[in-house]
Amino acid sequence: MSELALIIEDDLDLADIFAEALRSVGFTVEHATDGKKAQERLLNGEAPYLILLDMHLPHISGGQLLTDILKKDSRFDKTIIIITTADARMGEAYGDLVDFVMIKPISFVQLRDLTARLKPPQ
Amino acid sequence: MNRFWDTILNVPVPDPDDARRRRVLNIILLGTVGAILIGLAGIIIGSLTSGQLNVPETRLLLAGTITAAFGTLGIYWVNRRFSGRWAALLYLLLLTITFLFTDSPEQLSNGRSLFLFTIPIAISSLILLPEASFLFALLGSGIISGLALSIQQPVNIFAVIGFFILALASWLSARSLESALQELRVINANLDQVVHQRTKALAESLARERIEAGRNQAILNSIADGVIVFDRHWNAILANPAIRSLLDLPIEVIVNRNFRELIEHPKLSAHSRGLLYAMIEHDTQPLSFRIEWGGKTLSVSAAQVYDFREEGNVNLGTVTVFRDFTREAEVERLKSSFVAIVSHELRTPLNAILGYAEMFREAVYGPMNEKQVNMANRIITNARRLLGLINDLLDQAQMEAGKLTIHMGPVRPSELLEHIHSLLDKTAADKNLRLTSEMDDSLPDIIIGDGPRLEQILVNLVTNAIKFTDQGEIRIRLFHLPEFRKWGIEVTDTGRGIPHSELPHIFETFRQVEGGATRTQGGFGLGLAIVKQLVNLMNGEIKVASEPGQGSVFTITLPLVTP
Repeated sequence: MSELALIIEDDLDLADIFAEALRSVGFTVEHATDGKKAQERLLNGEAPYLILLDMHLPHISGGQLLTDILKKDSRFDKTIIIITTADARMGEAYGDLVDFVMIKPISFVQLRDLTARLKPPQ
Repeated sequence: MNRFWDTILNVPVPDPDDARRRRVLNIILLGTVGAILIGLAGIIIGSLTSGQLNVPETRLLLAGTITAAFGTLGIYWVNRRFSGRWAALLYLLLLTITFLFTDSPEQLSNGRSLFLFTIPIAISSLILLPEASFLFALLGSGIISGLALSIQQPVNIFAVIGFFILALASWLSARSLESALQELRVINANLDQVVHQRTKALAESLARERIEAGRNQAILNSIADGVIVFDRHWNAILANPAIRSLLDLPIEVIVNRNFRELIEHPKLSAHSRGLLYAMIEHDTQPLSFRIEWGGKTLSVSAAQVYDFREEGNVNLGTVTVFRDFTREAEVERLKSSFVAIVSHELRTPLNAILGYAEMFREAVYGPMNEKQVNMANRIITNARRLLGLINDLLDQAQMEAGKLTIHMGPVRPSELLEHIHSLLDKTAADKNLRLTSEMDDSLPDIIIGDGPRLEQILVNLVTNAIKFTDQGEIRIRLFHLPEFRKWGIEVTDTGRGIPHSELPHIFETFRQVEGGATRTQGGFGLGLAIVKQLVNLMNGEIKVASEPGQGSVFTITLPLVTP
């Protein structure tokens, strides 16, 4: 059974690339296309092993999801959280709350190599 | 009362001497009439009490007195209506004739009544002419001589001589009086002239001042900017109509109040209140900033007013100009949100292009041949270049809008170098260049600076160096200047260098070193301009030294702040 990775990203192409990178290192990938859907998914479903969270989302921002759910709900204590943003300043601001900050543009290779290292030893 | 007497006594004629004589004559005439009336009353009462009213002498006396009264009034009439000279002559003659009947010829010619003839001599010089006293001396002398001869008495030579001496004295005194009055009139006329000139000059200067003040007021009233003038204690002493509509407050709430009262107004945002307090508490520099008032954005400029004539340039107060900046602020907000949107909208598809190209290169969906991998690499390189250009343009746009700010925080210089290596090692290696770095041991582990911006500076400088170097190495050195409390970044390359003529211009926007080879390097020429502006924002300085064919050294010096 492979680990679950949740991609929260409104751009479908980017989500596709991220999903491919994560799949290529053995993750099972789920995708939420906006803040609201992500919120529903986070409140109801299984806690993912890894979350790739875009900070700029429609309806509910990444920052809000992060502070309202991921940091308050103890189910996510062990979840690895990577945030993606085009704004280096924002990345810095949330840097302490998350495990990794990736500044867009995000390279396929970079994401693949990083997440490969984050997988639990088999 | 004075006016009544003036009307009675004055005769309005242009010649002042004539007017004076006629006034004196009028006084004498009215005095004479008064005296005659009192005398008449005395005669009537006296004759009534003694029962002698019907005596022929009394009747004659009464008739004579009444005639004298009417005669005097007639002369008064002549004096007023016709001629002062004739009236005076008539009066003097009447007086002389009257004297003839007042006493016996003995007494008149050589006795107690001799002196009566001195009266017309003295008066004539005053009311007729100075010289007329001689005429009446002659007349008096003739009368006493005639009277004396008529009664076979010797002529009183001493009286005649006395009359002429009196006439001489009267003539001299009247003449000196007239000349004194004449001089007085000249002085008066001069004085009048001076007063007139002064009054005119004063009126003119007042008019000029009014025009000047009116012009200043008109300027103040008609400019669209709101103006408030404060004294040195920040009491508003003057405000123009524009400020009223700008602040939407009655002018009384603004003028004659202390500025602090206005600052406490609820329409002012808390942040703006802070800015205004800062202005009035540190009032040494000319200032310009923006405040939020109600729904409006106002730009505020303040200028101190000094009286440079006074010793030590006395501060008189402050002139503040408020300009409606609402539209401009809105445009700026739109522009910056446009920049943010463009930034996001351009980068996202480029990120997708890069990602898919990488997936090709990494053969995610099956094996690729060499040509296909090569093509994918070209897509990646070009997309990265485009991304770099967009970033530079956005940075430049932000700097022009004054939006690019420096955020200080703890920075590890060693991490800075690590980042640069992880970002650019491969780029350098692709061109067979070595990228090396070193750091002064004395440089603190953690310094205060803007991490992302420092990294941007380094990336720009190193990317540039790689771009213009074909063989050799790029060397990064972080140095420490403890004696100046400074630190710095030095990037040295062994590239083609910069022509001396271009050195002064390389930090200019959209500037690329001229020459065929450099044109092929692409880019807008914004990289170094951005670096320089960032360094300026950090209160540092940047220098370049270069020798064509030998390479270039860029040196940045920054103030050293440690946590």
